[in-house]
Amino acid sequence: MSDQRDTLIHMANQIAHNLQSSSDPATGVKNHLEKFWARSMKERIISYLDDADGDFTPIARQAVEQLAEQRRQAS
Amino acid sequence: MLGYYDPNKDYGTPARLSENHVSLEIDGVEITVPEGTSVMRAAALADINIPKLCASDNLEAYGSCRLCAVQVEGKRGYPASCTTPVEAGMQVTTQNTKLARLRRNVMELYISDHPLDCLTCAANGDCELQDMAGAVGLREVRYGYAGENHLDAEKDESNPYFSFDPSKCIVCSRCVRACEEVQGTFALTIDGRGFDSKVSPSQMEDFMDSECVSCGACVQACPTATLMEKSVVEQGVPDHSVITTCAYCGVGCSFKAEMKGSEVVRMVPYKGGDANHGHSCVKGRFAFGYATHQDRLTTPMIRDSIEEAWREVSWEEAIGFAAERLTATQEKYGRESIGGITSSRCTNEETYLVQKLIRAAFRNNNTDTCARVCHSPTGYGLKTTLGESAGTQTFDSVMKSDAIIVIGANPTDAHPVFASQMRRRMREGASLIVADPRHIDLLDTPHRGDAQHLPLRPGTNVALVNALGHVVVTEGLEDHDFIAERCDTEAYRTWRDFISEERHSPEAVENVTGVSPEAVRQAARTYASVPNGAIYYGLGVTEHSQGSTMVMGIANLAMATGNIGREGVGVNPLRGQNNVQGSCDMGSFPHELPGYQHVADNEARNRFENVWGVPIDDEPGLRIPNMFDAAIEGTFKAMYVQGEDIAQSDPNTQHVEAALTSLDCLIVQDIFLNETAKYAHVLLPGSSFLEKNGTFTNAERRINRVRKVMPPRAGKEDWEITVDLARALGYPMDYQHPSEIMDEIAQLAPTFTGVSYDKLEELGSLQWPCNDEHPQGTPTMHEFDFPIGLGRFAITEYVATEERTNRRFPLLLTTGRILSQYNVGAQTRRTDNQNWHDEDVLDIHPSDAEMRGISDGDWLGITSRSGQTVLRARLSERMQPGVVYTTFHHPGSGANVITTNSSDWATNCPEYKVTAVQVEKVSQPSAWQKRYDDFDRAQREYLDSAREPVAHGVTQ
Repeated sequence: MSDQRDTLIHMANQIAHNLQSSSDPATGVKNHLEKFWARSMKERIISYLDDADGDFTPIARQAVEQLAEQRRQAS
Repeated sequence: MLGYYDPNKDYGTPARLSENHVSLEIDGVEITVPEGTSVMRAAALADINIPKLCASDNLEAYGSCRLCAVQVEGKRGYPASCTTPVEAGMQVTTQNTKLARLRRNVMELYISDHPLDCLTCAANGDCELQDMAGAVGLREVRYGYAGENHLDAEKDESNPYFSFDPSKCIVCSRCVRACEEVQGTFALTIDGRGFDSKVSPSQMEDFMDSECVSCGACVQACPTATLMEKSVVEQGVPDHSVITTCAYCGVGCSFKAEMKGSEVVRMVPYKGGDANHGHSCVKGRFAFGYATHQDRLTTPMIRDSIEEAWREVSWEEAIGFAAERLTATQEKYGRESIGGITSSRCTNEETYLVQKLIRAAFRNNNTDTCARVCHSPTGYGLKTTLGESAGTQTFDSVMKSDAIIVIGANPTDAHPVFASQMRRRMREGASLIVADPRHIDLLDTPHRGDAQHLPLRPGTNVALVNALGHVVVTEGLEDHDFIAERCDTEAYRTWRDFISEERHSPEAVENVTGVSPEAVRQAARTYASVPNGAIYYGLGVTEHSQGSTMVMGIANLAMATGNIGREGVGVNPLRGQNNVQGSCDMGSFPHELPGYQHVADNEARNRFENVWGVPIDDEPGLRIPNMFDAAIEGTFKAMYVQGEDIAQSDPNTQHVEAALTSLDCLIVQDIFLNETAKYAHVLLPGSSFLEKNGTFTNAERRINRVRKVMPPRAGKEDWEITVDLARALGYPMDYQHPSEIMDEIAQLAPTFTGVSYDKLEELGSLQWPCNDEHPQGTPTMHEFDFPIGLGRFAITEYVATEERTNRRFPLLLTTGRILSQYNVGAQTRRTDNQNWHDEDVLDIHPSDAEMRGISDGDWLGITSRSGQTVLRARLSERMQPGVVYTTFHHPGSGANVITTNSSDWATNCPEYKVTAVQVEKVSQPSAWQKRYDDFDRAQREYLDSAREPVAHGVTQ
């Protein structure tokens, strides 16, 4: 994996770890990405969904999937 | 009642704040003042100025000089007016034949043991002894000058900034009292008795060898030339002054820049400054010489490659070159391929303009500020819980605190003037609780009363704050009324269930934090049970992988105990640099427009678009670390950096260097060739804080004016350079003065709508929010509600940092700063503050040193997962075993070569405070340091070769 890819997936996983005890962690992570990440970072993390297999934590993966869906609907 | 207060006048004794008032008559004038006021002060308020020498209104009355004697009807003798409180119906006479003779006799004795060198004395024209000799009409000294005296007493010139000439001392003790009462260091004393009495730094040591911290309070207090600024000795007494704001830490002290022509002779802390009330530290008062240092950049320069010499060019050519490069980069790599960064050293107006330039002229949101790497978690954490990204109190609020918790901050070094105020409150009996891996100086405050130290392991803040919260909840110490009235019930219940779990108890987390459960319980009880508990915190909270979580944990604790919304309480981030608060307020972050309005908020964005006349991107831009990653990847190609030195201050130096060398165009606007500028293609010479107009916003949200006292050395104030660059990019900005920029800020940021330069002139300073609801500003936040309505408890799960020790890296490194140097040292390294700290060293506990055969002064290789650097060892029991510490004030030290990319989960604020390292004795600099030396030498030569052979340091 590239450095950029490692970094972004690590960041998403780290957010997921920190929000794991919230009532709806995946939505919390999705909202965080939506609110604070640059467009290019969002597009990249979504593009890693297909081939990142076990690199995402379950919560992070679910969040990025939600983000992808939200952006698909908005476009 | 007399209420007028002139900060330029000395009223002799401090004000009293009693609500009861007393009327009396002084020289036939009826006066009403608060109970407890001295006769001297009451008289001064009526403009009846009683002669005095040992009295000053920033010191408690002492009554030693006897010059202020008065007569009181019905009382015997001649009481000292400074130590005599007013009484109802009192009739006071301040001047008659008897009093005049008495004062003359006193003065005669003083002058009989004082050098008669007034004409050549440095204080000539600015000497209270001289003034009083004139005021009492002294015409002769009957005793002669041949008797025993102190005229041959040896001068102490050891301090670089002031001299001590005991031959001129009148032993009034003002210096000693200033050191005790104003600064709180207790470094001075009066040694000996009677005629042998003399001022003594520590135990009759030189000033430099004593405990003196060179705050200068003694110099300011001295009524003679005994303690005198060397700059005044050299340049003479200043003839005019301008009030401005210090450019160092987040206290934001007000100063009178005392001038001759356009030269600053001395900086005198301004008594009318609401943040500092006439006090300062060694940096603000003395370390201003960098502004005229020979290293100042004074001419714009350009080059095509960082391996080329610089070429001096006109402003027009430099700006044109920069604009052309930026435009070409966007044409080739896309709109989002460029961005910019400002510094918390910039004014509000400069910061506002740069983010406007980026959003409106670059047409993206790739704007960030160095607050990213210090207090961005404060913004996230406080906005989430309390609804506003700012501290809740004034500095003065601490004077009503009964328990003060200091977490991850070292105020005596990083916020010295506020530390003095804290110490004053501690001497009055407030309890202190310090949570810090190191034993900080605040714990050694003289007459501190009880103080508790929670020496936690680096990286375990959240476990500790959760344990404190657990004790509050499980021991029934909550403020249920406050919670019911002011907080979101569901969020509170969820938090209460979470924090009550046994896994958060002090006993359960002891193996994580290393702090005894008894100490944690005691601290929680102390904080929760006093009437007013306040929390102050610094970068030891924010610069962690859970910085934001910890800020929320602190807010939870304050809400749970009802310590929000009045004086004496609150959540108070101590900001490292002068304008951290302002840089965040001004929309520097990539997701927020000025006033913390999200870029995706259509209503807010539309208002900006209407005023700016351009569409604004509705998605956040890149943060600083994201910019670095994108640069290395090749998608981010140009950057405009104003006033910030990312190459020295940001973590993982080699990663930053790789990013900077990947850029096609780096534009640096700064006053020196800083480390970042060595990677630049365009150098735009900036202006120091003495050379421009604007405002800074300090840690208590106080907006203070910065006033130009001398012309910019390169010809332009920084905001003018940004305006030029915008114009060259096809986006004209039409401002004639920074006040017009503030008017635009007031138009667009709801918390600033009442702010203007006119109002700042009228009131001196303003604390935002300042709007229709709070036209005079807001000293205390959240008094009645929160901007989000109800306070919101947050779940703060402890997640251990990934930066962990192991056999290869068994120690934890934490970094910080010291009193004499400031941040990357670009300013203070170019002053005599170097005398105190001319290199960064590694503090290591004696047991860790012994295990490795390390002695004081040994060269140590410090290796982390990121890199290696070499520093000298200093054995210190401030550290706990297993923890080492260094500063980052000198670029060649490479402290950030070893810090890592680990960062706060919510904001990417770097985890400077936790780096796993190994330490071993070595005999030569690290590979990085050797490369750095070569690179630094080459870049300096590139600069020198561009400069014309004129005398450096000459004002242009």
